[in-house]
Amino acid sequence: MSILKAVKLHKSYGNRNNKQHVLKGIDLSVEKGEFISIMGASGSGKTTLLNVLSSIDQVSDGTIQINSFEMTAMKEKQLAEFRKNNLGFIFQDYNLLDTLTVKENILLPLSITKTPKKEAEKKFEEVANELGISEIKDKYPNEISGGQKQRTSAARAFIHEPSIIFADEPTGALDSKSASDLLNKLSGLNENRQATILMVTHDPVAASYCSRVVFIKDGQIYTQLMKGEQDRQSFFKDIMKTQGVLGGVHHEH
Amino acid sequence: MNINQLIFRNLKKNLRNYYLYVFALVFSSALYFAFVTLQYDPSMDSVEGSVKGEAAIRAASILLVVIVSFFLLYANNIFIKRRSKEIGLFQLIGMTKGKIFRILSIENLFLYFGSLLIGIFAGFSFSKLMILVLFKTAGVNSVASLRFSPQALVQTVIVFTVIYLLIMIMNYTFIKRQTILSLFRVTSSTEITVKKLSRFEMVMGIVGLVLITTGYIVSSKLFGGDFTTMPQLFGAMIFILAAVILGTYFFYKGSVSFLLNLIRKRKGGYLSINEVMSLASVMFRMKSNALLLMIITTVSALSIALLCLAYISYYSAEKTAEKNVPHDFSIIDRESADTFQSALEKNNIPYSEKSIEVVQVTVNASQLIDRSLEELVIDPKAMPLPLISEKSVSGMDVSRDEVVFTGYDDLLQKFMPLKSSGSIKIKGKTETLTQRYVGLEDIYPVSWYFTAGGVPTAIVDDAIFTKMQKDIDPKVQKESSLYIGVDIKNKEQLEEADKLFKSTETYKKLYNESRHEISTNQKKNMGLIMFIVGFLGLTFLVTSGCILYFKQMDEGESEKPNYMILRKLGYTQSDLLKGIQYKQLFNFGIPLVVGLLHSYFAVQSGWFLFGAELWTPMIIVMVMYTILYSIFGVLSVLYYKKVVREAL
Repeated sequence: MSILKAVKLHKSYGNRNNKQHVLKGIDLSVEKGEFISIMGASGSGKTTLLNVLSSIDQVSDGTIQINSFEMTAMKEKQLAEFRKNNLGFIFQDYNLLDTLTVKENILLPLSITKTPKKEAEKKFEEVANELGISEIKDKYPNEISGGQKQRTSAARAFIHEPSIIFADEPTGALDSKSASDLLNKLSGLNENRQATILMVTHDPVAASYCSRVVFIKDGQIYTQLMKGEQDRQSFFKDIMKTQGVLGGVHHEH
Repeated sequence: MNINQLIFRNLKKNLRNYYLYVFALVFSSALYFAFVTLQYDPSMDSVEGSVKGEAAIRAASILLVVIVSFFLLYANNIFIKRRSKEIGLFQLIGMTKGKIFRILSIENLFLYFGSLLIGIFAGFSFSKLMILVLFKTAGVNSVASLRFSPQALVQTVIVFTVIYLLIMIMNYTFIKRQTILSLFRVTSSTEITVKKLSRFEMVMGIVGLVLITTGYIVSSKLFGGDFTTMPQLFGAMIFILAAVILGTYFFYKGSVSFLLNLIRKRKGGYLSINEVMSLASVMFRMKSNALLLMIITTVSALSIALLCLAYISYYSAEKTAEKNVPHDFSIIDRESADTFQSALEKNNIPYSEKSIEVVQVTVNASQLIDRSLEELVIDPKAMPLPLISEKSVSGMDVSRDEVVFTGYDDLLQKFMPLKSSGSIKIKGKTETLTQRYVGLEDIYPVSWYFTAGGVPTAIVDDAIFTKMQKDIDPKVQKESSLYIGVDIKNKEQLEEADKLFKSTETYKKLYNESRHEISTNQKKNMGLIMFIVGFLGLTFLVTSGCILYFKQMDEGESEKPNYMILRKLGYTQSDLLKGIQYKQLFNFGIPLVVGLLHSYFAVQSGWFLFGAELWTPMIIVMVMYTILYSIFGVLSVLYYKKVVREAL
């Protein structure tokens, strides 16, 4: 069953005279329980793609369905409603509220849906244990490390069990140890909870944790790789190879 | 491009960008100059002449300097922080810190003294204009015009030069402290430092509350006779100001976050959107803005107190006139009344007459009054009171053994509080009657000739009254025992009647009085003081409202990322807006409530120097102030609405 289905997405910025065509007809579908990553060079349109898929930005043309809800036709209020029930977010710069403790930050999505306090407490225990942040639950974001912040952010994305989680360069600001730690946790959550994760990254190591990698170049899907039965190391090599072919400026002789 | 060009260009650019700073400068210099001009004006001499008046003006003047300095330093703080990137850039291209400081100083010099000039001009013309308006409303023809005082100019320039130097020192330390890196980072880092509540802050919160309470207690004793000489009084005033202001600072620094933290702890981490937006944010911001909030609270308290006192004196003017002369014209002998009435008839002015017979009796009211005040020279055991019959007051029904008092004002109530029940003894020449006291009515049936300026009038059953009339004690009687009140039916003819009153001989006889004349006279007498105080109070209101509004604009911008996060999480704009309204209730509400409390105690301590009525004028002013003040809160919510809309 596919959770997300995007057909012929187009997105352009600017006015008539100076138009920037960022997305040029992208088709993408994500299955339930998939851990998929989108790769591409800077300016290839991967963040724009994530924004339109996650309803933060509007598409110029094309349709997006999540859980067979048509999102492109929704109004602002419906979109907010939709986001609160179906989507989770993890960002490069954590996006935690400075004035709230770790626990309060994590419980925010449950507070919007007015989940009973007891149930919220239970869910918090579960997700905090899985991500190893129970000890820091009463600390404020500026008192914890980057890796802990990102795990807090992840916990917030997972706690209300959304249909799909969008992660925008989640490892971008982390050192390599925290990064691999986070990615291990993410794939753990992906397996244990059957959570669907769509991650944008330019880091091949991060991408190698996924089950599928989609490469984007100049606003179009260039190719995609499936992990299949191979181990992470050889998948990583595949990704590197593809990136080598895809990346950089082509010199014509 | 040389340095001079750079300075000039910076100046041009910054005028547009930092209108807030320029506005703050112009506004505060105008305010200060207007105040000093009024202070040095000869027409204020009568006010300053008295010991208490001078103490008040000096305290107010010191307070004004403090407020203006903080206002400007605060504005400069925002100003220099916003320019940190530029300063970093200059350093990056190889300028020394000394050179950058020089550029900033020269640029500031133009900006600062240019605004000061405009401010002084604005302040002068504004105070002049207001004085003109005042004279027009008070109906004074001879214009005691406000002169341009060189003394005031010199004082203003000196004060503002000192503030300029302070600002320069602040800028210098700011530049000196910063490295290139941190200069680039300054705007991105949030101003709030989120930390756990320390024990030290809890202690601070408690100390704050204690200080405020002490200040309140001393203020209630200020004019109670404990402080008699000028230096003592001045010292006490300074002590109250210091205690309350410092206490307020500690209150914001410790108490508020302490209390909010308690509420928050109870939630166990599960916060609703309103709490996320208000509690969490207010808790930290109050702490880091304690200084600013203290200033705002003090300013609000000062302006509310001043407005209250001004309005008390204004309100009391009408009320006192009404009390002293209950009808349009009060006449105490038949003959004059007839002359006056025939003159009215001749001029076709319809009127109505109310005549009341009054007997003076000696009353022993020791059961009702606890203490006797020697200063008032009233002995509660033998008070001369006017006595009238229930028939003289429409709608009044008193049974045979009862007595009702009327017309007992707030001022007398303060010095000589009446108990709510008890019995009094009314003494005639031979007989003494014991009547049960049943209550106090807020009406004034007879003029002040009969009430000796303020004692209550006793109302008894008609039969009792007739009895007493036959048994009068000639020693306590006044010359007249008949009160005649004349009311003009058509109030438009009041002035005409007033002229007739003066032209006939009625007016010559003492205690035959026109209410119209009394109230205009009184208003004229204190018009200037009232006006100055009202002017200052309103300006303070605008200042504090502006600061809070600007502060909220700034805060809104810095919280924009938070709104983005919340909207991504699925909160709608209206959810956020609800939370913001809640937050603004705290942001504007707490300073307002504290300010109202401060001013309540300030007014309590000295209102009786200004008038005879306390509650009605004070409540009116406080309600009005709250409404005007809320406008700034509403404006800030509207601003936030824009921020939230653009956040995603």
